[in-house]
Amino acid sequence: MILSALYLQSQTFVDPTIRAAAAQSLILAALFVVLFLQSGAADLLYLAAITAGIRGVLIPVVMLYQVRRFKHSLRESGTGQRVPSLVIVGVILVIAGYALFKTALLPTLSNPSVSVPFVLVLLSFLLIVTRRNALTQMTGFLEEENAVLYAGALIAPSIPLLIEFAVVLDILGVVLVGVILSATRDVLRTLESPELEQLTG
Amino acid sequence: MRVVDQTLLFVGLLAAPAAGAAVSLLPRDGVEFIASLASSVAAVVISLFIFGSGATGAFGPFYSDGLSRIMAITISSVFFTSVAYSSFYVKRIKEPLVRFRWYYSLLDLFAFTMLMATTVDDLGFVWIAIEATTVTSALLVALERERTSVEAAWRYTLIVSAGLVSSLLSVIFVYFSQGTLLISDLTGRQMGAGLLMPLAVGFALVGYGTKAGIAPMHSWLPDAHSEAPSPVSAMFSGILLPTSIYALVRTFNLLQGSASFEAMKNLLIGFGIFTALLAAIIMGHQRNYKRMLAYSSMENMGIILVGFALGGIGAIGAAVQIVAHAFAKSSAFYGAGNILVAFESKSMAKVQGVAARLKFSGHLFALSCLAVTGAPPFGVFVGEFMIVSQAVSVGNLALALLLAVVYTYGFIGLNRQSVRMIFGQSNPGPESGGEPSGPAPGTLPSSENWVSVAIPFANLVVALVIGVYMSPLLLQAAQWLGH
Repeated sequence: MILSALYLQSQTFVDPTIRAAAAQSLILAALFVVLFLQSGAADLLYLAAITAGIRGVLIPVVMLYQVRRFKHSLRESGTGQRVPSLVIVGVILVIAGYALFKTALLPTLSNPSVSVPFVLVLLSFLLIVTRRNALTQMTGFLEEENAVLYAGALIAPSIPLLIEFAVVLDILGVVLVGVILSATRDVLRTLESPELEQLTG
Repeated sequence: MRVVDQTLLFVGLLAAPAAGAAVSLLPRDGVEFIASLASSVAAVVISLFIFGSGATGAFGPFYSDGLSRIMAITISSVFFTSVAYSSFYVKRIKEPLVRFRWYYSLLDLFAFTMLMATTVDDLGFVWIAIEATTVTSALLVALERERTSVEAAWRYTLIVSAGLVSSLLSVIFVYFSQGTLLISDLTGRQMGAGLLMPLAVGFALVGYGTKAGIAPMHSWLPDAHSEAPSPVSAMFSGILLPTSIYALVRTFNLLQGSASFEAMKNLLIGFGIFTALLAAIIMGHQRNYKRMLAYSSMENMGIILVGFALGGIGAIGAAVQIVAHAFAKSSAFYGAGNILVAFESKSMAKVQGVAARLKFSGHLFALSCLAVTGAPPFGVFVGEFMIVSQAVSVGNLALALLLAVVYTYGFIGLNRQSVRMIFGQSNPGPESGGEPSGPAPGTLPSSENWVSVAIPFANLVVALVIGVYMSPLLLQAAQWLGH
């Protein structure tokens, strides 16, 4: 999971970023199946199906369709020089995040596996904040959603509404990529945020 | 009132906007407005019954106390006025992003999700409903299909969604710590000294705080408020932001009596006063009048958060301010909508001498600006006074002083700009070498009618009545506080 997040961070082209986010969702779906086999909680199996179907396939397919509408391979402007340093920042964040988790959260949560989604949340914020392309920012949102649902399944697998949480987040994801992003592309003719700077003050 | 009756009232409260949303989509001209108006009237009537019943506790899947009753009536009322004002405003949008039947349907669903967030008995459903407000309102922000409005919609959806995922962690931590998400079970429970519940409040502050426009997570707010159509801006400012504050306060109040309560209280006060100060400073330097109103909303939310964190009479003041601000600010946004329709510009440099052209709207806008900045005897003044009184009574004089600075700076900043805009000299036309300030007199599109004037006027009257006669509200809020 963390390697896939660092791979997302290292890409300058949009297509592989989307594919990496899809792969991460499929890995998470597999982890949910493993957790189901351990605990027997049927909710985890439904969660695996939703994760694989919506975040692993549907949303990435719609996003790749958005990329193809531009009729060329999309590369984020200005990422060439920034990406290597962002990967280094990402690695530092992984180490710092783990250290913070071990000192502050582990004594309370007493489950070291939660460090993985904790670090993933930090990496997803880094991706959203540092990237300019709306599609890449969207992969950051998918990564954050993966991380929080993973945390939920690890911390409190019996929590009610976990499936509902996932469904609402996925509906939001579909609205983001399917509707808002389409409108952005149609009206602004770009998905790069330097063009999205009309609003100031 | 019997439990089943109370439950039915809550079901009716949610069913009204849900039915309105469904009927609005029928392919018959005009049905969308009538359906939405009828559903909003029904929601107001039912919320009045719920308010009047005064029942407290769990009713099936719902939870009712003073705060939730105040929220329900405020949400229903602003929903009703926004639907009514839409009949004037939206038909002037030249190229809407979605058909009007979808606009009204989404408006109904937007109200449904906010009503659900403030009446359900389960913190998980509160989170789901607040997340759903983003889904239902995203397209409403981009309705005018301009570059800026589409950009604002993207920023709003992405920033708020990313923030709200943090508040899901808060819900998970509450469940892990307490084994339940039911507000009725959690209220009054001893939380112990662990780190989980303070962490839950911290994540709720980040998540719900993002949606409530608490700095530094507020960057979406001025964009979305200024670019959304005016009826939607009124709902965002008047009821969406308080709905998020409601969720945050619900989580925070679970800590009452625990060892970490004081630390988290100070954290919320810190974020609240920082937000109010930042907004008060920025507000007076805005060039776009809708953006200026957006910063005023941020200032009010910061003050309200401080009030709830202080507790006691400060929390009652915060509840009063929520209601008064909702009515006053929606009046200001409707007035801003009238000005925008007439002058076709949001720039204050191009909109001067409004009162000379829009006699009623100009004066209403100026009065609304006074009301939202806490001018006596409007309700916001009463709320702000109670909050600062609580700060003084608990001996936190530094906070009282900071609040006084916020009130003064915000009052001067916003009203100086609004007075200049409404009563200033109109710019000369291009023939005399000056910048044009909208269409020339006599050639204006129909920019005022009885609907566009009566609705902001009625809301302003309510904001005034709350300030002058507020005993029932006080009683309700006091009941919620358990006094």
